[in-house]
Amino acid sequence: MAEDGAALARDGKLAGRTWPRGTFGNQPVGAILLCAVLSAAAAAATVSNLTVQLPSALWLQSLTAPDIEDMRQVLVHYAFLPRLAVSLLCGAALGLAGTVLQQVLRNPLASPETVGVSAGAHLALALATLLAPSLLAFGREWVALAGAFVAISAVFALSWHKGLSPLSVVLAGLIVSLYAGAIGAALIVLQHEWLASLFIWGAGSLGQQDWTTTLWLLPRIGAAAVAIGLMVRPLTLLGLDDEGARSLGVPLGVYRFAGLAASVALTAFVVAAVGVIGFVGLAAASLARIGGARRLSQRLVMAPLIGASLLWAADQAVQLATGPQGDLLPTGAITALLGAPLLLWLLPRLALGLEVPALTAERLPRIGRPGLVLAAIGLSLLLLLELALLYGPGPHGWTIAFGDQLQPLLAWRWPRVSAAFAAGAMLALAGLMMQRLTGNPMASPEVLGISAGAALGMMVALFALSDAGRPAQTAAATVGAFAALLVTLAIGRRAAYAPERLLLAGVALTALFDALILVLTATGDPRAVKLLNWLTGSTYGIDADAALLTGAIAIVLSLLAPLFLRWLEMLPLGSSAVQALGIDVPKTRLLVLLMVAALTAASTLIVGPLTFIGLMAPHLARRLGLARALPQAAGAVLAGALIMVAADWIGRTVIFPLQIPAGLVATLIGGPVLMWLLRRR
Amino acid sequence: MTKTHIQTAIRMTRRRALGLVALPFIGMAPSKAEAKPLRIVCLDDGLAETLLMLGVNPVAIAGRDVWENWVVEPPLPPEIADVGTLLEPNLELLQQLAPDIILAMPYLDSIKALLERVAPVTTIGLYTEAGQPYQRAVEATRQLARLVGKEREGEALIAATDAYFSEVRQKLAPLSARPIYVVSFMDPRNVRVYGKKSLFQEVFDRIGLRNAWTGETNYWGFSTVGIDGLATSSDARLAYLEPLPEGAGGTLTESPVWNAMPFVRNRSIMRLPAVLMFGALPSATRFARVLAKAMTGEAARG
Repeated sequence: MAEDGAALARDGKLAGRTWPRGTFGNQPVGAILLCAVLSAAAAAATVSNLTVQLPSALWLQSLTAPDIEDMRQVLVHYAFLPRLAVSLLCGAALGLAGTVLQQVLRNPLASPETVGVSAGAHLALALATLLAPSLLAFGREWVALAGAFVAISAVFALSWHKGLSPLSVVLAGLIVSLYAGAIGAALIVLQHEWLASLFIWGAGSLGQQDWTTTLWLLPRIGAAAVAIGLMVRPLTLLGLDDEGARSLGVPLGVYRFAGLAASVALTAFVVAAVGVIGFVGLAAASLARIGGARRLSQRLVMAPLIGASLLWAADQAVQLATGPQGDLLPTGAITALLGAPLLLWLLPRLALGLEVPALTAERLPRIGRPGLVLAAIGLSLLLLLELALLYGPGPHGWTIAFGDQLQPLLAWRWPRVSAAFAAGAMLALAGLMMQRLTGNPMASPEVLGISAGAALGMMVALFALSDAGRPAQTAAATVGAFAALLVTLAIGRRAAYAPERLLLAGVALTALFDALILVLTATGDPRAVKLLNWLTGSTYGIDADAALLTGAIAIVLSLLAPLFLRWLEMLPLGSSAVQALGIDVPKTRLLVLLMVAALTAASTLIVGPLTFIGLMAPHLARRLGLARALPQAAGAVLAGALIMVAADWIGRTVIFPLQIPAGLVATLIGGPVLMWLLRRR
Repeated sequence: MTKTHIQTAIRMTRRRALGLVALPFIGMAPSKAEAKPLRIVCLDDGLAETLLMLGVNPVAIAGRDVWENWVVEPPLPPEIADVGTLLEPNLELLQQLAPDIILAMPYLDSIKALLERVAPVTTIGLYTEAGQPYQRAVEATRQLARLVGKEREGEALIAATDAYFSEVRQKLAPLSARPIYVVSFMDPRNVRVYGKKSLFQEVFDRIGLRNAWTGETNYWGFSTVGIDGLATSSDARLAYLEPLPEGAGGTLTESPVWNAMPFVRNRSIMRLPAVLMFGALPSATRFARVLAKAMTGEAARG
């Protein structure tokens, strides 16, 4: 395995050198074999699925001239077969798009899913459906294309000054995807109508009613494929370094853009037709490469073949599980579930170039009197608290609560405000500790997948225990957070905590968690609605007990924090130097990790897993000139509380009497801030 | 903070106790209730439509837009406030509306503790594991009538509903041979089909029609199936309810699977305006009326 990894690593970096293993007479034997195995499995499942629906004697007839008096034949001809065709077409298109993206970006992790193209197309379609259905009349593909191009432009803008380095592009891509996902969740929460089904936009159901989608996809995918076919030679040269290619007289920019456009178009067509099919593009392109398809021309053939057989097999397996035509379990969500672990597995096996940690402290201001800054933040926090507790809309417009009204309104408001306060403070502290521990300015519980782990733990508690109270939920969430932390750090350690690799592992964990939620929601489990409500970080159900519990945890952990902060401040000296000072490094590290897990778990239970506060707050404090660990921690805690209380207040008031979950508001605020931080690097 | 909390708790308990003590008296002394009408917040559209039919306006319901799309009639008087979504009604607004009582359904049990801090909560389950929503709607009508001191109106509503069903039964008798599917479209490929434990099944039983869907249903009385799952009964008719979700309109005209369904080929499909599928007596009456209209219209055409 290690040798394979090394070989793959070489390939990732040096496409075009001799390939020592996995090839036979220059043929990608591994890829062909994989393709054959997948196809055989898919074919067997197909035969099994078909036999359930129709006796084999009628197969040929139902294919060529179905008897419309016989419903079974109609279903095979107009539902089963087109679904099969669509699975093959979409799988191939995504494999092709992935391969071309990897080539033009010179990035072995690029794919429609990892650079944000799928999510952008998807969000554009959802927005158009809800807000401007008339736009869809021009053609769904145009809306999807527009969204995909906006997304990839954002990704480029975010990673441009890092020279579009592989990890920075993929990191930006995944963050754009998560942000698009958060906006999508906001739409679902706001549009939720309990009488209608929980509507999941483009969860990637491949179900068909006729051949329309197939015939719609065929010419579009075909045209893009032909365009790519005509560009094989220049695209191959793009794999060389710029000077090498330029010396051969290739107009690099033109072909790079054309290749990019073709793969973005392929993705947009697929999303417009069936929704997001998670991670098939990445899997197909990577597996073709691992299977020994070394030259671009080989990969351009093998990746679509693998993609097609992969999606075919996945879709038939889903039908095997849910019965024929069952599209209540969307195939696209299932493939996403498999894709995230693949990404985690690939990560340590690819050489992605050297990444330089940035956001170095020297350029930032340092002030002599941190007390002043802290007092200023504290004062604004006090003002905000007053607003959040007293000012809000009621049946007669916006009012300041006083007199008789005050007491009953405060009884509702203080638990929510104090829970938001505690959650924001704890997330900020957890983020600060992670950043100091890993020496990585982009670390935070949300980005490293620790919050996702906490949410996962909480989910397990919800489903495994019939009646999980808040203490049980907190414990389960802490275990989940700690497990996720260990996974992320194990992956990070291999890369010596290289910042972006660590982040990528975390974002992949978060994506895995998202896919799981999608599958659960799609199965229509009534607990899924509650889960979704909770995940978006609603403080609605917080009563006095929960608020007091969260507050108590926050106070205890905050008081413990200074003990660790001293150690964290010494850490940059190197672990041997710290050891020389008589500190047990592994033990202290473990304690810090436990503390981060507990902080994350307690706050995730209140505001959901995706607020970006743990990332933002320490940076805000740092930018205000708080450089040393203790003042920075205090500043971050105050800033985190400030943002979260503001988010809760905004969520409670802007669309009164409807409410936007506080966590979601924080995400919507935090996403752009995070992107801005990325951009500054 | 703790002190505030305790004070609030004491206050709530006292108010709740008062409410609970008051409740039976309200039932027994209608004249008193008429003197000062109860302020009711109603978090179940089925109960709300019953109240409106009894001539009592609740102070607030959850989701006016839901009502306009799914319940339609009786029309909602404009002075009734909207407290937001059903699963997260705005508690501060509820507090300021100062209701005497909140009517809820078992679906909202998870927020019952919160609601009880505002006012006493009476949970009335029209839809439960045990089914029989019609019987439950009759009982709920009596319970609500007692609550608002309108027993006479309540009995009249029950009697009128029964009488209307007999009338419809007679009118539809010549058309009752073929079974009928009743569905709502979820998306272009999937429908909710209503069967046992649904309000529509109970209406069918009372107006002498046969439901084509005899399969399993959940406690709300429906099952989610692909449209091809409706192909088993060859002489069935199909009635589908508005509102249609985005994109389902196309299914009904273009899809070959849809066009191959027996009821489409026999041209036995009926489009019904929205009827609350989780409603009480008024919704049952409305369903019988719109269905009878569609069936007789169909008979007149065919």
